[in-house]
Amino acid sequence: MNQETKTYRKGEIPGIIAINARECKGCDACKRFCPTGAITGMFGTTHRVDVDRCISCGQCLINCPFGAPYETVDPVDEVAAKLADKHVTVVGIIAPAVRVAIGEPFGMPAGSLVTGKMYSAMKKAGFVILDNNFAADLTIMEEGTEFIQRARHALFGEKAEHGGGIGPLPQFTSCCPAWVRFVETNYPALIPNLSSAKSPQQMAGAVAKTYGAAQVFNVAPESVYTVGIMPCTAKKFEASRPEFQSAWHFTKEKGGSAPSAPYPDIDAVLTTRDLARLLKKMKINLAAENDAEGGTLFAEYTGAGTIFGNTGGVMEAALRTAWVVLTGTPLSKIEFTAVRGLKGVKSAAVTLRDRKYGKEVTVKVAVVHDIRANIRPIVEEVMAGRSPYHFIEVMNCPGGCINGGGQPVCDTGSSWIGRVLPSFAWS
Amino acid sequence: MSKNDPSHEFIENPFSLSRREFIAIGGVIIALLALPAIWIRSALINRNHHIQARTKGLYQDDATAKIRLSHENQAVMKLYKDFAGKPLSPVSEELLHTKYVNRMKALS
Repeated sequence: MNQETKTYRKGEIPGIIAINARECKGCDACKRFCPTGAITGMFGTTHRVDVDRCISCGQCLINCPFGAPYETVDPVDEVAAKLADKHVTVVGIIAPAVRVAIGEPFGMPAGSLVTGKMYSAMKKAGFVILDNNFAADLTIMEEGTEFIQRARHALFGEKAEHGGGIGPLPQFTSCCPAWVRFVETNYPALIPNLSSAKSPQQMAGAVAKTYGAAQVFNVAPESVYTVGIMPCTAKKFEASRPEFQSAWHFTKEKGGSAPSAPYPDIDAVLTTRDLARLLKKMKINLAAENDAEGGTLFAEYTGAGTIFGNTGGVMEAALRTAWVVLTGTPLSKIEFTAVRGLKGVKSAAVTLRDRKYGKEVTVKVAVVHDIRANIRPIVEEVMAGRSPYHFIEVMNCPGGCINGGGQPVCDTGSSWIGRVLPSFAWS
Repeated sequence: MSKNDPSHEFIENPFSLSRREFIAIGGVIIALLALPAIWIRSALINRNHHIQARTKGLYQDDATAKIRLSHENQAVMKLYKDFAGKPLSPVSEELLHTKYVNRMKALS
C-alpha cells in the first residue's frame, strides 16, 4: 500500500480492508454498512476504501453481495510454518464468538456450539490452547474494578489508591478495537472515558508471554508465538499497535533474557475464516472431531467470559461481578436480560447497596451495538455532559462479535439487502 | 329483410366465464401478487437468522457453564495469586492496561 496514511503510527498496518476493483460493481451496498463513511466512489463506479477513516471492522466485507472487499493481511502460511516448527510454542487465543461460527465452514448449521471439537482440531494442528474467555474473565476483573473505582470516585469522592488518575464517568468499554479506533479518529475528547483496560486479546498475549511462558508453558518468552483467533478484522490492526509490546518491556525490566528487537504481544491474528482455511489446508475436518478439553490452565473459563461475544455480554458479565463485589451478597438471578437482545440501544438501571459506604446507589448502564446506526446520539450526549449513564458498552458490529467482520460470510444473512438494493438507483 | 342482416346473426360471447371460474382465476392472480410480499417478509425475518443463532449458541454456553461469574474463575485467581497481585496492581497496570492516541489531529 503506497498510499499516504495520516491516522496510523509507525508499525501499524494501514488498510486491513481493501476493495477488489475487478469484483466491485459499484452497487453502494457496502456504504449502508460502513460505520464511518470510509467507502468512496460514486454509484456505478468502482469503490475504494479511505484507509484514514476506515476502522477495519470488516462489515463491508461480510455484507458485500459480490464479495469484493478482502483482507490485505493473510497470516495463514506464516502460522502454518510456525506450527511445523517444533521449537516454537504456538498459543491459539480463541475468542468467544469463534466457537459458535467455526462449524459453519465445515457444513454445520449456523450457531452450532463446537468448543470441544474446536479444541480437538486446534490441538491436532499443533496449537496450545489459551481460551480468550479466560482473558475475558481477566478483563472483567480489571475493567470492573476500574469502573468501581471511577464510580466511587464520582459518587463518594474516593481517592485513587495509587498514583494514576481516575477517569471520568461514563466509562466506555474498550474491548472492541474498531470502537477504540472510532473514538481516536472521531471523538478524541472521549479518550479519558475509555476504560484503560486492554482488550482480552492483548491481555492474553501479554499474560502468555510473561506468566504463561515462565510458569505454565515453561519456555523462554521469545519462543512463544501467540496467535489471536478472532471473529474480527480490526484485531489485526489492534495487534500491530506499537504499545502492545508490553511483555517484552516487562521481561526486560525484570532482568529476564530479552532479544534486542522487541516482540509484539500478539504475533499474528487469524480471523474465523482464516482458521477454517488453515484447518482445511492441514486436512483437519473440524466437524468430524470428538470433543476435547483445552488442557491448560488458560483454557479455564466461566459463563461470564463466554458471553463477551454477544452485544450486551460484556456489560452483563461486568454487572454480575460488580454486584457481588459491591454488595457482598450473591446474585439471586444471574441473568441480566435487560441488556440482551438486538435493540439498538439497551439501557438498564441496577440499584444496589455499596457495603463499603453503606449507601444505596443506582448504576445506570447502556449497551450500544451497530455504531453506524446507534452511536451518534449517545456520544453527543456524553460530550454535552448530559449522559445519564455510568457505564456504556459499545461494540461496532450489529449483534456484537458473533457478527464480526472476520466471521464466515452467511449467504442467508444480512447480505440479502445488498442483493436487492442494487436494482434501485436511488438507494 | 335480407338474409345477411347482421342484426339477426347471433354470436355467442367468445369470452364467457362462469362464476366458479371467475373466483378460481381471481384467486390465482391474488396468490401470484402475494408471492413477492411473502418473499420479502421471509427475507426480513431470516435477515438476522445467523446473528440470532450464534447469539443463542453463546448464551447456551453460559447457561450450561459450571461457573458463571468472572471472579470465581480459579485460573484467573491463580494468576493474581502467583503473579499480578490484584486488579489495578502495578503489574496489572503495566501488562493489562493501555493508553490511547488522538488520531483526529492528523485528519484536520
